[in-house]
Amino acid sequence: MPLKTLALAGAFSLLATGAYAGCAYQNETPLKSLTAGFEAWKAVTDAMIECGNFEPELDQEFRTKQPAAFAATPSLYQIGGVSNGTITPLVNEGTIRALDDLVEMHGQQLRPNQLIRIDGSVMAVAMMVNTQHLQYREDILSDLGIAVPTTWDEVLTAAETIQAAGMVDYPIGATMKAGWNIAQDFVNMYLGFGGQFVNDDNTPAVNSEAGAKALEMMDKLTAYMDPEYLTSDSTYVQQQFQQGKIAISNLWASRAAAMDDPNESQVVGKVASAAAPTAMEGGPPATTLWWDGIVIAANISDEEAEAAFRLAMEGLDTEMVTAANDEAIWLVEGYQPGRLAEGAIATATASPSPAAYPSTTQMGLMHTALGNNLPDFFTGTKSAEETLASVEAEYLTAAREAGLVQ
Amino acid sequence: MSTPRALRQGLALRVSSASFLAFWCVMAAFPIFWIAVMSFKVPIDAFASNPFDVIFGPTTRAAGKGLSLFDIVAGAALLALTWYVATWHVARLAGALAIDGSQALGWVLAAAIFVAGTLAAFGFVLPAILSVIDPLLGPLGRPLIGLTMEHYQAVWFDNQFYRNFFNSLIVTAGVVTISLSVGTLAGYALARSGSSLAFWLLIIALVFRALPHSVLVTGYLPPFINSAEILRPIFGDAAPTLYGKPWAVIMVLVSINQPFTIWMLRSFFMNIPAELDEAARVDGCSHFEAFRRVIMPVMWPGVITTGLFSFLLAYNDYLVTALLLDAQNQTMVPAITGYFNRETTTTDQVEAVAAAVSITAPLFVLVMVFQRQIVSGLTAGAVKG
Amino acid sequence: MRFKTFAAFVAPSLFLMVLFIAAPLISVLWQSFYLTQQVFESVEVETCTPGFVEQNCVTEIKSRPVIGEDGKVVTETSFVGLESYRNLLQPAQTVAALAQGSLAELLKIDFWKALRFTLTFTLITLPLVIVVGLCIALAVNNAVRSIRGPVIFISLLPFIITPVIGALSIRWLFVGDGILTAAMEWYTGRDIAMFAQGWTIEILMLFYRVWHVAPFTFVIFYAGLQTVNQDTLESAIIDGASRFERLRFVVIPHLMPLIVFVALIHLMDAYRVFEEVVGFRSEAHVISLQYLTFDLLTPDDSGNRSISRASANSMLTMIGIVFLLIPLLMRTWRDHRGKAR
Repeated sequence: MPLKTLALAGAFSLLATGAYAGCAYQNETPLKSLTAGFEAWKAVTDAMIECGNFEPELDQEFRTKQPAAFAATPSLYQIGGVSNGTITPLVNEGTIRALDDLVEMHGQQLRPNQLIRIDGSVMAVAMMVNTQHLQYREDILSDLGIAVPTTWDEVLTAAETIQAAGMVDYPIGATMKAGWNIAQDFVNMYLGFGGQFVNDDNTPAVNSEAGAKALEMMDKLTAYMDPEYLTSDSTYVQQQFQQGKIAISNLWASRAAAMDDPNESQVVGKVASAAAPTAMEGGPPATTLWWDGIVIAANISDEEAEAAFRLAMEGLDTEMVTAANDEAIWLVEGYQPGRLAEGAIATATASPSPAAYPSTTQMGLMHTALGNNLPDFFTGTKSAEETLASVEAEYLTAAREAGLVQ
Repeated sequence: MSTPRALRQGLALRVSSASFLAFWCVMAAFPIFWIAVMSFKVPIDAFASNPFDVIFGPTTRAAGKGLSLFDIVAGAALLALTWYVATWHVARLAGALAIDGSQALGWVLAAAIFVAGTLAAFGFVLPAILSVIDPLLGPLGRPLIGLTMEHYQAVWFDNQFYRNFFNSLIVTAGVVTISLSVGTLAGYALARSGSSLAFWLLIIALVFRALPHSVLVTGYLPPFINSAEILRPIFGDAAPTLYGKPWAVIMVLVSINQPFTIWMLRSFFMNIPAELDEAARVDGCSHFEAFRRVIMPVMWPGVITTGLFSFLLAYNDYLVTALLLDAQNQTMVPAITGYFNRETTTTDQVEAVAAAVSITAPLFVLVMVFQRQIVSGLTAGAVKG
Repeated sequence: MRFKTFAAFVAPSLFLMVLFIAAPLISVLWQSFYLTQQVFESVEVETCTPGFVEQNCVTEIKSRPVIGEDGKVVTETSFVGLESYRNLLQPAQTVAALAQGSLAELLKIDFWKALRFTLTFTLITLPLVIVVGLCIALAVNNAVRSIRGPVIFISLLPFIITPVIGALSIRWLFVGDGILTAAMEWYTGRDIAMFAQGWTIEILMLFYRVWHVAPFTFVIFYAGLQTVNQDTLESAIIDGASRFERLRFVVIPHLMPLIVFVALIHLMDAYRVFEEVVGFRSEAHVISLQYLTFDLLTPDDSGNRSISRASANSMLTMIGIVFLLIPLLMRTWRDHRGKAR
């Protein structure tokens, strides 16, 4: 059998080099890209490879490499993959170019919704959105006669009922790994309570009523979680779902499709999704909206930029989306939302709508400070107020070093 | 050789010593054995809570992929044969292949032949034979334990892990060769010089070794990326971008590894009597000639042992290679952690486990082949400190 | 050996170490006393980001770095003296905590928390690694000759396996209902979560490190045991020395230089403990000094990193390791004096 595979692999590679199947033209300019490594990027860069002369780099260290590599003269990569978080350093340092003219020339198929405008000019082209929203075991909820929770208080009551019935090990799963994950969970909850992260003079504002409420709610939820929640990231929560160990979670939309993979999941068809719960009456869903998309480097020739943009458009076409429909909540023409995408769409179209993740230099510092200090509250080392005070203290130190606060 | 009566041991001592050893061996091998078992199962089985499900893999077996009792026996026999060949025949082969008395080349060739042979035997010959025999055996040939190679296929062919493998090979070979050539010279000089300067060099090297790597490595990134700009005044347009170049990473790893290399080699050279090279010097050789003619022929046990440590460092490195290499030149370890750090599905994780087992296999072979040399090299060297 | 010859032999090695270790080290030292800041301006920016159907546009005041004439961000570098060290050590809180005599208060400061763990980790694993390694070496030396080969092979496995992968494989055995946790639950009849509290994670980290390093000490000691002088041993037997006394007065002194060597290497490696923190995800409970440096150097989404504080932290880490090494270095110095000529 391995022999057969070898032969097959050889045949495929011949096919791939021989004909540029699936690409409308042949790319002549050597191009490189640096992006994150998740499945959606794989689908997009694979579609771009078909045009030839293109080397994608799907790299877990892209966050560290991207700002430096794009600042080099000439830029080491022509195409970059960013999210609303990681575009910030590139915009700040002016290492990516405005795309208005290129969109006019090659971007006819793009929807207006895809064009990321900063100060009026198009700086990036979005390909997908992502958000954390409610995923739950439909069978358990209907067995116990629980309505799909729309607020976090209802989630608590539902968890209580599920725990009493003893149907799963732990009713709730959450991405609360110390560091980036737990900070992100707090950001969701805090925005749900109408909080504000920094004042106009860049001083911190998290030690507030909303901050205390957010921590209190998160603390209540932990009572229904696996006690190892401070080490659980989205991969772990997804796996717990698949193994039938948890019943409710506010999980990333990009994770939903795997619940129906028969090779991995023991709960195929039993998981459904809904909008992220709200934290307070009449408030927005307690979550943030994210997008991922492409940017083009500034420090390259205009010809290269044009070739790069054209190639990127080939990667973001309907054909690619049809082939990888369930890998993401695509913004590209031709996307057919599946059963598990309902929750993400309900979240994004809710009214009042959740905020986009507020990506600024200050927010980067705040996110780090939250990620480092919040665990102390959950391990019982510090009280809620003490924790928020040390978040503010760490933020202030970092902001002074960065020159944001005098 | 009979043991003197006084050295003979009481039963209690023998039993406790043997059981301690058995306990240790189980502890040493179990985690590795376990990830190897996981890598052959479909994800549901691999992460099942019941350990027997992980071992026997009911879901995997239900999919019609498995090993029969006969397969297991045949596999075990082949494994024993591999062990026998590794410990007894590879060294002899190395001796036979040593051209112009160049032992190192002989070893490299012999090890390469052995690795290729093992891979062929386990990957192609055995499965081919078994697929013919199994159907003939009736109940003995029916799958007993679920086993699937799909993750290995996914890793090696679909994800082109062989490219990472070759990159690892280049980096490792480069590091070992350069590390040893540079290190033997320095180690020899340090062993033969009693000056305080030599001592302080050694101490400074030790302090260098104690440095946390994350500090050094992040310091490299900006100059590496901008090196073309920085070096242009010197090299003109030929100035290279160091970022992503395997040879640049090789130099970094060699440097990081130098302190340990020169310490090890120095202690080996200390044990080669100074009279040897002094005699050569009296005969009119320069220091370098004395080194080449007298020392080089007797230094191999020490060099092989030190080389193994360099090999491990380069092969297992994560921090340097992850940050300073681009995707085209990526080595295996960062490639594997890539499976975990990105948005991973459970399948990705099992594939990562398969990749992890794949990366461990060459190390297995290496230690199997060199296990005697490690011990004899250490015995010849570091013993006197 | 004349100086010139010596220099020629050492030069390549020295050149590499100066270029790739000493030079970065000096720049780290420099950076720990200086601070490089971007110059920010406040501007009103309209940002439009996609919803699922329609865009959300927000206009807000943002702080943005100023971009200079050359297209690069304008930065200012200034000498700040010990400011970064102060930010790290937080002298005011430290003194307050010490005045209260409260260790718990002191350990709320990241640096002291990291130092506490790094030190305990180093000092607990050191004797364990040496003792376990020595025991294995004695047991192997005691075993029948024919099984020694396979046993040495198996014993070396934890050492050669890639550290990241070793840590992961141990984590899998214990995380959630991993099989070893399940086994312990079955044995004790209680619900156990190994990653839910700090001390169990710490035990796992210690266990992993000993598991990983003991084979190295084992193989060094085993090699040393091969050269124990048989005559001395026999005369000890004639003098009526018991087995333990022979170990204590003949074998251990013979192995002493090796024990020093192993201790030296282990102190250095354990003091920069890092993989365990990441591999076992202990960030919520315990962190190490090198993890702190790494964390300060890892850019967030917006690309900020605290280079000055990270540099200060790594200088402090270095000072710490030099202190730990001094007793062993003194010994090496005496040996060196003794051996020269």
